[in-house]
Amino acid sequence: MNSTATYDENQTVWQRIVSFLNRLGFSPLGFGLLILVAVMPNFYPFSQEYIIRWLIMGAFLAAQSVAFDFTAGYINIVNFGFAALLGLGAYTSGILANTTPFLLFAPGLNPWLTIWIGALMAGLVGFILGILTLRLRGIFAAVMAWFVGIALMGLVNNLTELTRGPLGMNPVKFLDTPNNLPYFYIILAMMVLIYVTLKLVVGSNIGLAFKAIGQNPDAARASGINPTKYLVFNFTLSAFFAGLLGGFYAHFFGSLTPSTLMHTSKTVEVLAIAYIGGRGSLWGGITIAFPFVFFIEFLRSNLSSLPGLHLVIYGVLMVLIMIYYPAGFSGFYFWATEKVKTLFKKSK
Amino acid sequence: MATKTSERPKISVDLITRMKDNLPVVLVSIFSIILFILIGIKGGPPQIFNIIVTGGMWALLATGLALVFGVMNIPHFAHGESFMVGAYVAYFVFTPLNQFFLSTGSKLLIYSGPFIAIIAAGLVGSVLGIIIEKLVFAPLRHRTKEGWIMNAFLLTVGLSFILTNGTNLVLGPNFRGIPRYFDVKPVEIMGAFIAVDRIVAAGIAIVTIGILWFFLRRTKTGRAIRAVSQDETGAQLVGIDLDFIQTLTFSLATAMAAISGASLLFMFQAYPTVGVTPLYFSWYVVMLVGLGNIAGAIVGGFIVALLQSGTQLFIGLSWQSVVPTIVMILVLILAPSGIFGSEVKGIQEQ
Amino acid sequence: MLELKNLDSGYDFLQVLWGVSFEVESGEFIALIGPNGAGKSTTLRTIAGLIKPMGGDIIFNGKSIKNTPPHLISRMGISYVSEALNLFTDMSVEENLMLGAYAVKERETQLETLDYIFELFPRLEERKDQLAGTMSGGERKMLAIARGMMSNPKLMLVDEPSLGLQPNLTYDVFEALLKLRKQGVTILLVEQNVNATLDITDRAYILEQGKIVMSGPSQEMKANEHVRNAYLGI
Repeated sequence: MNSTATYDENQTVWQRIVSFLNRLGFSPLGFGLLILVAVMPNFYPFSQEYIIRWLIMGAFLAAQSVAFDFTAGYINIVNFGFAALLGLGAYTSGILANTTPFLLFAPGLNPWLTIWIGALMAGLVGFILGILTLRLRGIFAAVMAWFVGIALMGLVNNLTELTRGPLGMNPVKFLDTPNNLPYFYIILAMMVLIYVTLKLVVGSNIGLAFKAIGQNPDAARASGINPTKYLVFNFTLSAFFAGLLGGFYAHFFGSLTPSTLMHTSKTVEVLAIAYIGGRGSLWGGITIAFPFVFFIEFLRSNLSSLPGLHLVIYGVLMVLIMIYYPAGFSGFYFWATEKVKTLFKKSK
Repeated sequence: MATKTSERPKISVDLITRMKDNLPVVLVSIFSIILFILIGIKGGPPQIFNIIVTGGMWALLATGLALVFGVMNIPHFAHGESFMVGAYVAYFVFTPLNQFFLSTGSKLLIYSGPFIAIIAAGLVGSVLGIIIEKLVFAPLRHRTKEGWIMNAFLLTVGLSFILTNGTNLVLGPNFRGIPRYFDVKPVEIMGAFIAVDRIVAAGIAIVTIGILWFFLRRTKTGRAIRAVSQDETGAQLVGIDLDFIQTLTFSLATAMAAISGASLLFMFQAYPTVGVTPLYFSWYVVMLVGLGNIAGAIVGGFIVALLQSGTQLFIGLSWQSVVPTIVMILVLILAPSGIFGSEVKGIQEQ
Repeated sequence: MLELKNLDSGYDFLQVLWGVSFEVESGEFIALIGPNGAGKSTTLRTIAGLIKPMGGDIIFNGKSIKNTPPHLISRMGISYVSEALNLFTDMSVEENLMLGAYAVKERETQLETLDYIFELFPRLEERKDQLAGTMSGGERKMLAIARGMMSNPKLMLVDEPSLGLQPNLTYDVFEALLKLRKQGVTILLVEQNVNATLDITDRAYILEQGKIVMSGPSQEMKANEHVRNAYLGI
């Protein structure tokens, strides 16, 4: 009798842990991987500076894809100006944290503060963008976002007294240290924050509303869901996080130029990850981003005679997935786990 | 799988197709005329000619884009890359050819060099269009039922990515350019000296558009293309081979963009991302006038060129990438179907 | 000429036709009647190649056409005048007609046929430059049928031509079909207007819930009790 009781208790505790993790958007496997990635850089060979740098870039790309998928995978609008929003956050934060006399003003605020202001700024523009795309759907909404992105990048390029335009500006870094490890934990924390927040939103009634609007806006309206506030909320939140990530970029890399940060091609990179990872999953992009970055950086450093090869591979993969396996990696994962489950059942 | 008829923007070769109301057209016309006069006063004939050359370029590009929208229902994001391909082909054909012709000393050969290069670009463009259509769009068409427009769009985004970076990989990022096509003195028109290259470029644009117009309006195949854009099922029922028409259309559009890129080699040069600006501006034109509207694309090309020129003259050269964009955002807000376009219902859905 | 063997057909997950079999001999004028939703349009669309059969076969002049794409079926001599008409609304009457002859090789033949069509349908000739989308319902039906004739088809499939038409226009449409018939064109007509249809056709098949339930000479069908109850309101 006793042993059965203890056994049940353990089950329940484990189940409780698992369901708690699930609410936050983690399967036990996913959470385990997260811990692994968080701990890895403390040990050789992962503690080498260039590997940590790759991890940072992986987390950065992963976080972007989560914010992007929040819009593309749920309300079904491709925010083609995403990179520009990120850049807006970066520049806002960079300008406000600025201490050099080269720019019009140098308020010199604390970067830990300015990144949030940058996020708010981006969120505000996201809010406006949401309103602008209200009456537009599908391709028109994507084009509107695209044009807004182009306009933003052009503005940043032209307001040279504020941004130094194409010459670029150099925001102060977060920390004084040359080590990458602390920055890794910053971006990892941001990535987890973004993922968990968005996962919680998506798991709530708001998320249901998103899906309804994404599938069939008219039917949603008929069911009493007001697309306006959900659409705008989605854009705002996604943009807010994009801006936040931009702030990280500014005070980590310490160097900003409009064309490397805000160009449409940067949005395409994030889009590719989100799609290959599986739209609407949020976690798909994270899973894909890390191996992707590693693969690409490896190619880049070992095959430096072939510049841009990694981008070509990016593009080809994205095209192939879209034609032949639109469900992406997350779709594949579900299919595979289902197959395994049924095999398991059969063997019983 | 055929997409629903109501979903696609139909190609129209008439300027105004079942407009909802005249107001946008009137406003835009008045604005354009005023702008034209202002530019004429401040910039004079050289600026006017600038507008003709640029307008012709946008018209040529936008027409191809409108065709692809209207017949294939694809928002084509890689259109600029067709321009780029044309520029590169022209460079690699013209440079050695010109050397050779110069050595022969024959004026006839020397003056035909540029035309040979441009025609070669058109041919390569048409072949590239056929390859891409058969390799990329045809499979997608036979596999997709839902969400075709967005899928096709993203596909062209991926395509653009591949083409740009692939070119960078193979040919490097360096600019390949030529100082001029025709080594002759500029021609004087109305007190301004205009380079012969630009006159030829404008002429080629006008001639190409004219040929396309004639083709669409008067030939059996051209009519078939228009038929497919108006009613795909109806077209099948009268015996039109959809796959053939789609391939032909895409091939035409790519060829036209390549010709544009080739004829402007002296102005733009050839490098992997040279297609970015042509892409943006041809999209501006198509959004302004309404998807699928070919006649509109021609007029719209000049309107956008006016806008560019006006920005350059009155605000500043570097704002050329911002002001037209902001205008286009306004257009999208106020008249998303374009100023000449008719109610295009299905495009509003996924 | 045309034979359906155990045809199963439908849309995505919904099967509409279950083992439909019938024959149309060369020169015949056959009616396919039945209630709404029975699958009459589906039958025609499947023959025309717009829908791929789920099972069974379609034989045209000895050749199986179940896998043939619609444009080739059209070129083989089967003309489908759909319920939706599928006209090219932004093109003129004449352009629509010329497109009907798209698959015809010789321009002379095209023009000859056009002249003949204009003789048969003087109303269309009057409006030959008018845009198809601006014409009235009856005129559009005429145009659709005329366009279907432009390819000099061997077999015409006509889907509910009288639907939504005033009685006098219906009369015109049926007259046109009879003229066609006199020319030797084989016609398979799907119609709701059972009375008139049984008067002009040779034989009829009754399709109910995706299955052929009855067939026979039209006059016999007219006298049949079930037909009279269900379709003639007697």
